[in-house]
Amino acid sequence: MAKEEIKNDITKLGFEQAIKELTGIVGKIEQGEITLQDSIQQYERGMTLIKHCRKILQEAEKKIEKIAEESSEQQK
Amino acid sequence: MNDLFGNSKPTPKPAAPGKNPPRQVYTVSQVNTLIKTALENNLPGRLTVTGEISDWKVHSKGHCYFSLKDQGGVLPCVMWASSFAKVKFKPENGLAVFATGYIDVYPPQGKYQFYIERMEPAGVGALQLAFEQMVKRLEAQGLFAEAHKRPLPKFPERIGILTSESGAALQDIIKSIFDRWPCVRLLFYSVPVQGEGAAEKIASAIKDVNRRNDRLKLDVMIVGRGGGSLEDLWAFNEEVLAKAIYDSKIPIISAVGHEVDTTIADLVADARASTPTKAGVVAVPDMRQVLEDLENKKVCLNRNIMLCVQYGGQQLDEVFAELAKEIKELLANKKDKLHHFYEEVVKIEPHRLLGRKTVEINEFRSRFNAAMAVGLNRTGLLITAQENRLAGLNPKAVLRRGYSITTLKQTGAVVKNAADVQIGDDITTELAGENLIESRVIKK
Repeated sequence: MAKEEIKNDITKLGFEQAIKELTGIVGKIEQGEITLQDSIQQYERGMTLIKHCRKILQEAEKKIEKIAEESSEQQK
Repeated sequence: MNDLFGNSKPTPKPAAPGKNPPRQVYTVSQVNTLIKTALENNLPGRLTVTGEISDWKVHSKGHCYFSLKDQGGVLPCVMWASSFAKVKFKPENGLAVFATGYIDVYPPQGKYQFYIERMEPAGVGALQLAFEQMVKRLEAQGLFAEAHKRPLPKFPERIGILTSESGAALQDIIKSIFDRWPCVRLLFYSVPVQGEGAAEKIASAIKDVNRRNDRLKLDVMIVGRGGGSLEDLWAFNEEVLAKAIYDSKIPIISAVGHEVDTTIADLVADARASTPTKAGVVAVPDMRQVLEDLENKKVCLNRNIMLCVQYGGQQLDEVFAELAKEIKELLANKKDKLHHFYEEVVKIEPHRLLGRKTVEINEFRSRFNAAMAVGLNRTGLLITAQENRLAGLNPKAVLRRGYSITTLKQTGAVVKNAADVQIGDDITTELAGENLIESRVIKK
């Protein structure tokens, strides 16, 4: 159950946030300033983040929309 | 008689009737040569002419044939490809120019032509001057200051594009972004990019987008157009647009003209793409590179987690070796004590008790030996079992064996040494199954 929650929480992340967190995790584990138990948890999270980032890139559709001009009178 | 240019030349006299005067007859070539000489003698070797280009034609070999004209007349012109290659602007009909060269006769067509060696647009001097003055003025106002430039987002999610709907620049910008980074939403805002009022319209579009950005949520904006003459690009040199770019809260990338063109907008923008086709390189990361980076991170995580597990396993090995040694010592000690009692018992009444007691003692000794054998055997099995479990390197199992992890409640740091805590600190002890005990340090 807890794992599902973590996954849900990751799928909501934008690419930039995901990469930022991933970079942090890689750095922490690399420096060894983390307990073994934490490192395994963080490792799992890191792998999920990588999957998430790849998914964002692979599922991207090229979206274009047009912004119409809004006259300043419409602004208050 | 003096000719048109005041030269004394032998002039053929009109044929007088009745006489047979020597009649000088010129060939066409001779006439052309005379005219050529007359021109050479009477015109400056080089002259600069101003006029408007008309009938502009570029021959397939790169030579240019056209005319310069004003209200009063037309001057046929030739510009060889070698000279034309040095012209930095694009000549077109109706453009006023300063042209420098020489006049010569072209005998095959019996006409004189202006052979142009250098040409520059008339009036560009004034624009150039205006541009330079503007650069100085806006620079003094701090509009180009590096400190004011906003950083671009590394992974933008929504990019605004302000350019003309009809220009090629729009497609160039879109392609250059999607080729590198497809997971971004582009929001296009059509504005005129040249002509009267274009600068004001682009400036007000920038302000409009900024005002609505709580809904539009743009991370960055690209403002640009394709290449053209200095006049075509002029909107991007106007102060009203420079100020709007400077005031924008959304970072702006300029993408104007060709690589060689620098506009005020380029100088004031937060980042500059040399052409619309380079906008993507400035605005978004390259997906291939990012995927490669992700792969590297994955490899790195895998390698480091292996190191962590190996290190943890090694620590467990050391702890069990210590434990096994202590158990062996304990048993050896107990065995010594028992043996000592046995000696004492034997000593007490050796003669009287010998018969009966010997039997008892022998029985006792064999029971003891059997018990010892069972005990030692069990200990051995225990150690073997632990070693087998250790081989699995499952670090979480440590907790199930009765070990615990103590952390300082305040910081969450693992307590590895008494020096890590102070008296009065709250500590949390984690046991198997994620059970927690909280305690307070009273002595150390």
